Amino acid sequence: MKVAHDEYLISVKPLLQRLVNALNEQYPYASVLATAASSKQYSVSRTGVTLSESAEYLNNCGFVVRVFDATHACGEYSFNEISEENLPEILAAVQKTAENLALSDARSFPLPEDEPLTLDAATDYAIDPETVGDGAMIDRLSAIRQKALGMDERLLDVRAFANYQKYTKIFLSKNRDLTQSVLWTVGGVITFAARGEEIMNYYLPCSGLGGMENLADLEKNVDVAVNGVLELLQSEKIVPGEYDCICTPEVTGMIVHEAFGHGVEMDMFVKNRALAKQYIGKRVASPLVTMHDGAAANVTQAATYFFDDEGTLAHDTVVIQNGILLTGISDYLSAKSLGTAPTGNGRRESWQRKAYTRMTNTYFEPGKDKLEDMIASISHGYLLSNASSGMEDPKNWGIQCMVSIAKEIKDGKLTGKICSPIVLTGYVPDLLQSISMMSDGLELGGSGACGKGYKEWVKVSDGGPYIKAKIRLG
Amino acid sequence: MNIETILQCLKEQNIEKYRINERLVETAELFFIRKAQDVKRMKRAHLYEVTVYRDFEYDGKMKTGFSSVTFSPSLSEKEAGKKIASAYNAASFVRNPAFELLPGVKEEPKTQASTLADVSLEDAAKIMANALFAADTAEDAFVNSAEIFTEKKTERILTYTGTDVRFTAYVCKGEFVTQCVAPQDVEKYVSFEYNDLATDSLTACVSSAIANVRDRAQAVSAPKAGEYALILSEEHVATVLDFYAERASAPLIYAGYSAYKKGEDVQGETTGERLNVTLVATQSYSDEGIPMQDRTLLSDGKLCCIPGATRFCSYLGEEPTGGYTSIRVDNGSIPLADMQKKPYLHVVTFSDFQMDAFSGYFGGEIRLAYLFDGETVTPVTGGSVSGNLLDLQKNLVFSTEKFKRSNYEGPLAVLFDKVSVAG
Repeated sequence: MKVAHDEYLISVKPLLQRLVNALNEQYPYASVLATAASSKQYSVSRTGVTLSESAEYLNNCGFVVRVFDATHACGEYSFNEISEENLPEILAAVQKTAENLALSDARSFPLPEDEPLTLDAATDYAIDPETVGDGAMIDRLSAIRQKALGMDERLLDVRAFANYQKYTKIFLSKNRDLTQSVLWTVGGVITFAARGEEIMNYYLPCSGLGGMENLADLEKNVDVAVNGVLELLQSEKIVPGEYDCICTPEVTGMIVHEAFGHGVEMDMFVKNRALAKQYIGKRVASPLVTMHDGAAANVTQAATYFFDDEGTLAHDTVVIQNGILLTGISDYLSAKSLGTAPTGNGRRESWQRKAYTRMTNTYFEPGKDKLEDMIASISHGYLLSNASSGMEDPKNWGIQCMVSIAKEIKDGKLTGKICSPIVLTGYVPDLLQSISMMSDGLELGGSGACGKGYKEWVKVSDGGPYIKAKIRLG
Repeated sequence: MNIETILQCLKEQNIEKYRINERLVETAELFFIRKAQDVKRMKRAHLYEVTVYRDFEYDGKMKTGFSSVTFSPSLSEKEAGKKIASAYNAASFVRNPAFELLPGVKEEPKTQASTLADVSLEDAAKIMANALFAADTAEDAFVNSAEIFTEKKTERILTYTGTDVRFTAYVCKGEFVTQCVAPQDVEKYVSFEYNDLATDSLTACVSSAIANVRDRAQAVSAPKAGEYALILSEEHVATVLDFYAERASAPLIYAGYSAYKKGEDVQGETTGERLNVTLVATQSYSDEGIPMQDRTLLSDGKLCCIPGATRFCSYLGEEPTGGYTSIRVDNGSIPLADMQKKPYLHVVTFSDFQMDAFSGYFGGEIRLAYLFDGETVTPVTGGSVSGNLLDLQKNLVFSTEKFKRSNYEGPLAVLFDKVSVAG
């Protein structure tokens, strides 16, 4: 089944077209992006049941006009009230936004080519979340929680959750008329247990493009989540140092995304804030590494879409090929500043926000190794799992990623010893160049959201195979 | 769509318990690369958030379910009615213990006193931009890029218990990055938030960040792995001490994630300073319309308040206070210079400093720290800090110098006697 377009947005499309036409008479270029996003967030935990449709980043409906003035400076006006009557007000507000652009020390950009294009597309789903019913969803999550709590009395709490977002976007310019509708769904189980005053938790998510079919494994995850947090109760502090490590696909994904992906966001190239700019065409990783980013990449995950928030069609960008950095990813303004082609990565948190260069589905291609051979190859090291957070450092390629679990490997075997929490540090190219084995599977996860610095949250996915690398752990 | 039509819609659907938050947020936003304006944006966002409450019996016990929806005034009455009906239906599955919102408050509209109100949002953004770049005068270290947002928010809150309040608040917030290109090309990220046209504070903030990034450019090595007397300062002190506000919050206590009890000595036996922390009201009313006021959180290390919204506070038998985002810390026993007489590692910039209220662990990768070995001070970079406040709170020493930002007012620095550093 294809996701249906939002009826309200379709109903105001003629008004938006008139707005764009009127603006095109005043400015060399004008466009409007309309967004209608609806979502439900279900959660069951010791604090009770939560069911909300009001989270602003997931539920929003509004418009953003972009204009370039005569000097080709860029201005935007975001609003969420439109009617026949207030069109003149909107036009006046756009004019007010744009009136001082030419007077200030503003940057100018080549105008968008605006090549004619019409697109009407939607992603697929098997089970529409809206047909499942709120009661059934909450009962299911409650049962998962009870099942987990019944498995071990040391559990302090279990949180089971599910979210989905269905959105429609319309992009209109003089020559472009693009419409897309997308649905993604995520869910997960988080287990909590106490060791004195310390509260340990283990997070096991599932996610995907489409509907409730993505939550088919939710019940199966319960055992893993329960065992995970119980293992953490036995965890020790790690002796800081550099180790041979095996990273699970989610930890690989965190390294791909946080340690390297943010560094190839080309708005950072424009600001001279990314070391990667100096490494185009050079080796940055082991020959085993080929890295993709793209809303049109050959994977379907939560960050799949057809066009970005500036009206550029989605791409599949090969960022690293066999260890050589080929290119970055970019929004429109950054690409034009650099003289490159935009790659369909101009994304907004919502209609209320500016577009930045953002990742989409980001991953390493799989290798040929078997996980058991990878573990067997390590004399003393760790299997890293349960990625918890990471922070980018495009300027200096410093790594800061955190994982909850490091399982000790000695003489090619897991010893049963677990260390937590773990901070991964070091220099990104050192880590990537140290990759010596990659497993033959590919897993992506899209349960979380990505910020630019500390704001601008967008849905992303990341992943890859198991990798073996040398990593400094603390 | 307006408040009256929403009230009518609730009445037609026999929904007696509700909360309506009407928000109008207007902003001016300026984005810069070096000193050149990259993009200018203006925003007008008008939203209604409608929360419906539903009382019902389940398993022989009274429950109060609730669910919220948001929509813009452009939505038709019919569509808004459908959303509200859907939320009311959803609320019947939310089987939480019963609770009631507080009795209503009706007050005259309040407007936060702010110099930001004296000029237009666009002019305010330009004034703050000039203040930001006023400190950007050197060639070797400079502002790489900046974002400035000036915002006016007007909110009206109506509840079924008779609350009908309005307030207007102003804020200027943003972020900037300073850069020094030699001998190493490095940068420092800084975020800021003020409730006034705090031009002098912003200029000083930029000056400090430029000085820091200049020092970082000189830092070449990471501190050796080991244990150090660790000094944290400015926003990192605020992040660490936020632990207490989060740990004391009603949802965490109700869930059992925190064992804090009112009147309990949460700091335990100490050899250092006893903590005195106040929750600071930064807006007139909570989302539920509760009038906000400053409240003592910790007095000599003892918990005095369990802050939170109506639901969890009611469950715990505590007075609902609303949620707080700012603290004042009345501590400080020695000047920073005295802290620095013995060997120390003073971390001034992390790549991302994290404090986990669940485990008590804090840490991050060091971007710039000053290492004093007893003889010389050396800028260092790299490696990571990892400490646990549950252990370290027993011996806290704060500086007498103060630091203030929108979410924190208190000591400029804190000294921990023994913290692990991975080199």
